[in-house]
Amino acid sequence: MEAITFNIDNGYLDGIVRGFKGGILSISNYLNLTQCETLDDLKLQLAATDYGNFLQNEPSPLATTTITERAREKLVAEFQYIRQNAGPELAKFLDYITYSYMIDNIILLITGTLHERDTHELLERCHPLGMFDSIAALCVATNVQELFNTVLVETPIAPYFEKCLSAHDLDEMNIEIIRNTLYKAYLEDFYEYTQTLGPTTAEVMGEILKFEADRRVINITINSFGTELSKDDRAKLFPTCGRLFPDGTFRLAKADDQDQVRLAVELYSEYRKFFDQGPGTERSLEDHFFEYEVYLNKRAFLQQFHYGVFYAFLKLKEQEIRNIVWIAECIAQQQKERINDYIPIF
Amino acid sequence: SLFRAEDISLIQLYIPLEIAQPTVAELGELGQVEFLDLNPNVNAFQRAFVGEIRRLDEMERKLRFLENQIEKTGIKPKPLTGNLYYGRTRTQQEIDDLEARLTEHEARIQQMNESQDTLQKRYLELSELRQVLRETAVFFEQAESRTDDPLLVIQREDSHLLAGNPSPDPEDAQDQRDSGRINLGFVAGVVPRARMGIFERILFRALRGNLYMNFAEIDEPVTDPGTDEVVQKNVFIIFAHGREILQKIRKICESMGATLYPVDSHPEKRREDALAVISRIEDLKHVLDSTRNTRRMELSKVAESIEAWAMMVKKEKAIYHIMNMFNYDQNRKALIAEGWCPTNSINSITYALRGVTERTGSTIPPILNELRTKKTKPTFHRTNKFTAGFQAIVDAYGVATYQEVNPGLFTIISFPFLFALMFGDVGHGLLVTGALVYILWKEKELNVKNGGEVIFDGSKPPNLISTIRWDMFFGGRYMIFLMALFSVFTGLIYNDLFSKPLNWFGTGYKFHTEHDHEMRVGEKLWTYAVGIDPAWQLAENKLLFLNSYKMKMGIIFGVMQMIFGLTIQIFNHIHFKQVQYIYAETIPQILFTVSIFGYLVFMILYKWSVDWLAVGLNPPSLLNTLIYMFLAPGSVAPSEVLFPGQAALQVFLVLLALLCIPWMLCAKPYLIWKESVRHRLQGYDNVQGNRDSLDSDRTGEVTPHNGDGGHGGEGGGGEGHGEHEEFSEVVIHQVIHTIEFVLSSISHTASYLRLWALSLAHAQLSEVLWDMVLANAFTMKGVGGTIALYIAFGAWFYLTVCILIGMEGLSAFLHALRLHWVEFNSKFYGGGGRAFIPFAFADFVEANGGPAE
Repeated sequence: MEAITFNIDNGYLDGIVRGFKGGILSISNYLNLTQCETLDDLKLQLAATDYGNFLQNEPSPLATTTITERAREKLVAEFQYIRQNAGPELAKFLDYITYSYMIDNIILLITGTLHERDTHELLERCHPLGMFDSIAALCVATNVQELFNTVLVETPIAPYFEKCLSAHDLDEMNIEIIRNTLYKAYLEDFYEYTQTLGPTTAEVMGEILKFEADRRVINITINSFGTELSKDDRAKLFPTCGRLFPDGTFRLAKADDQDQVRLAVELYSEYRKFFDQGPGTERSLEDHFFEYEVYLNKRAFLQQFHYGVFYAFLKLKEQEIRNIVWIAECIAQQQKERINDYIPIF
Repeated sequence: SLFRAEDISLIQLYIPLEIAQPTVAELGELGQVEFLDLNPNVNAFQRAFVGEIRRLDEMERKLRFLENQIEKTGIKPKPLTGNLYYGRTRTQQEIDDLEARLTEHEARIQQMNESQDTLQKRYLELSELRQVLRETAVFFEQAESRTDDPLLVIQREDSHLLAGNPSPDPEDAQDQRDSGRINLGFVAGVVPRARMGIFERILFRALRGNLYMNFAEIDEPVTDPGTDEVVQKNVFIIFAHGREILQKIRKICESMGATLYPVDSHPEKRREDALAVISRIEDLKHVLDSTRNTRRMELSKVAESIEAWAMMVKKEKAIYHIMNMFNYDQNRKALIAEGWCPTNSINSITYALRGVTERTGSTIPPILNELRTKKTKPTFHRTNKFTAGFQAIVDAYGVATYQEVNPGLFTIISFPFLFALMFGDVGHGLLVTGALVYILWKEKELNVKNGGEVIFDGSKPPNLISTIRWDMFFGGRYMIFLMALFSVFTGLIYNDLFSKPLNWFGTGYKFHTEHDHEMRVGEKLWTYAVGIDPAWQLAENKLLFLNSYKMKMGIIFGVMQMIFGLTIQIFNHIHFKQVQYIYAETIPQILFTVSIFGYLVFMILYKWSVDWLAVGLNPPSLLNTLIYMFLAPGSVAPSEVLFPGQAALQVFLVLLALLCIPWMLCAKPYLIWKESVRHRLQGYDNVQGNRDSLDSDRTGEVTPHNGDGGHGGEGGGGEGHGEHEEFSEVVIHQVIHTIEFVLSSISHTASYLRLWALSLAHAQLSEVLWDMVLANAFTMKGVGGTIALYIAFGAWFYLTVCILIGMEGLSAFLHALRLHWVEFNSKFYGGGGRAFIPFAFADFVEANGGPAE
């Protein structure tokens, strides 16, 4: 069915996004990038790729932050273009993608306000995909209740927020809890939604989101060691749409240290190898996660007629920007020996 | 010449390092050399002159910044004149100066921008403050009109508008009075209009409705100095009570991008403030104006020469890009360049090089060597504005292999002719001719105007598309002109003017009614002087006659063109010294075509030349004759006999054609095989590669370096002969080729029937249009008739131009194109070459939208 009807609304954008995907840097591009001596060389090399002359109006001593910013601007512009041309169903899907950025932005602002940073400075650091009109008003609020009632009630992520409404004051710990609760609600909701979008989208996005959920579960578990978060509270933060649920999450909820985490995850063949690292390897767990994410996202492009490509494209491109920034930082700080630690995409 | 590509030589230049840049500049102006990349393996940023290019990039960025500023200010940059001085490339010194100047300008303008921005911002704030004061004054005055005590009014307003507090707390009022009238319970400011809704909502939610808000729109739009965007803003004033709440409101206002202004609660104080603000605004305006003026002056100074600078930087950048393709010699004193150039231009190149040496006063002149090479050379046809369009048609199919016969030359006549066969109509032809005469007359102006329209940036796609279409049309103007002229000619032959015949010489038919027929029968008295007798236009059997005539005409011209194409092969074979292939390939192909289709043409002409009525025989069907020539060789049905001895001739021709097939099939592979055997017998098998390397002077595989050129070790350039071509491959290739030729000779001949089909369609369409639209109007009488004729003529003319000239013209063009690309070119044209693209400034000056803008 999808094969017949998908292209009516989404054929153009599907083509566009696959075209964009063709512009993702390849291994040989990265090889060239890693050979650069200065950031200006990097600029020259990037000019030969799909990035074109995105840096051409920058005065010469380049900063890595400028590169990040411009690269992100380009990605955001591409995403906005897709969003603007999307039909209703795809538009909703794309909006779902932006919710995660909204959550990040909200947390960023709340934390910033807590530390009494300048609001405008904070706003500049927000991800442009997660902006909404009243975001600036977030810094007025002093507790969760107020936060919700003043600002968030009219944002799309209000439903997620309802679940973590407690009268607690905002402190470091609570913000972290809020973030994870929000993410849990968001992931579960997004997962549910993608399962209604036809079998291919359900399959592709299911894979990706399940992994995303599992990654969060593992990360939460590991990061909670040594904090005052109780095990029960921790278990409440685990998203329930992952592959680890319910068996793995149950074990993880009881884990006390890294080894127990490893044991809990051992049963899942995809994840086992993340922990199987020899003593010499420098790859962190995070890197393994990113690698696997790239693998899943790349796989999304092998299927036709589904929305997963849009999500995958965004994530791959983000990974690419992370790579470029990594390489740029290595060049800027003369840390050439670690320059090859980026995660190749194609 | 257009017949063959020009001779191309591989040249090698030794350019002393210190004059490398002016030399390349000179060659760029000349535009006759295509440089080869001598370091293809070197990364873009590891090349010799990356530093310079980067510097120029930086200069370009500054130029863009300045240009942007100029554009924003609304100054028109002085267009680049044709003046050579401005366009010429500069010396190193001048570039350095320019860089310094650009930096200076940029810094100054940036500084001025900054100060202007701050001033602007202050001005903006003040004018907003003025607005706030004015609008709040209105609120307060309205209140004042009700009571004399303004303070009380505020309290009262508070009291009855604050829904949450139906009865005002006297203590609270006291509190506020106590707090010294500074914090009277209101906040005033300005907020962008677009944000108003959210602003209100958030305030309402945050304060749970405990506020009274009043706002007024500012009529004059405010320009944001940061983004240069016009923003509509609102003045608001919010009344609330309680220090905490006011604090909260302030915070929300700030986060929502609103600006707050202090407003005093005392009317006198407010008036004073307002006056002070107004005077300050006046002052600021003065300063602002003068800043703006200086900035404008600075910018207009820049605008004077920015185009010239931009051109200069662009050229310099191109020069360094070219120089990046060069090699250093051993002791890094000179650059070595290699490139293709037309052999004829070598003289002008040496002359240019000498000029550079003299001008720069260098002691060592650049040296030019001509190298011998086995590399495939690029194809270069010198064209002018007349031939360029035709050559473009051929190049679109495929660029000619180096020095093979170029169909472009024949296309000049054959293309318009085949087009005209399909488009033949005096009226349409004349209309197009008229338009083209105008375009050619105004050629210069239109070209310049057009050049101005082509703006080299993607930001204006619709404009770009329309200019591309215009460019196509304009580029082919001479072709279209010829096409129109030829159409007039064929129109005369077809005797067709908007589907009406011309009876200039008087028809050659006399009509009389035969008693047993209703219709009148024409009796031919004499032959009409030019073209078809106008009487046919009215004849019942007009279509029968015209179809037969045009069909046969199509076949005749088609066979002629194809045989012509085949004979061109001979020139190719002679030129490439493969005379034996003339016998092995060309002659059987020609014989095959002539014996079947040449015979068909002969029959057509013969049939025309016989007056069948006078002989008293039925004219035989040619199609059947041709078919039965193969199905039943040696016998001709008595009713179908054209001429005596036909049967014997046909048998001979069929046998000849059949003989040609194995001839084509075997002769060429046999020759190739024989040659390779001869090579082996003479023991050249191994020597061949060696000799080639000596010839080419640069193979480097067998003899690594032979020193007479003294150039660096760029090895592995020349390719040896593909001596051991698989013989079976040759055979298979030949089999395919033969089968294709035999089959296509039939389909290609049939393909020329499109000449008939399109010409028929064109004539019929134009007739229908005349009958349906215009002819009806002629039948009406009186004033109604006049009006109807007026309208009908408009419609008819519009449709004629759009459908008959525009659409039909395009389709005839396409079919003529196909006849050339497929039917004609396939007979002799390889088209496997590579175009010669010289390094020329003129090209990218044009590509960048020309001097204007």
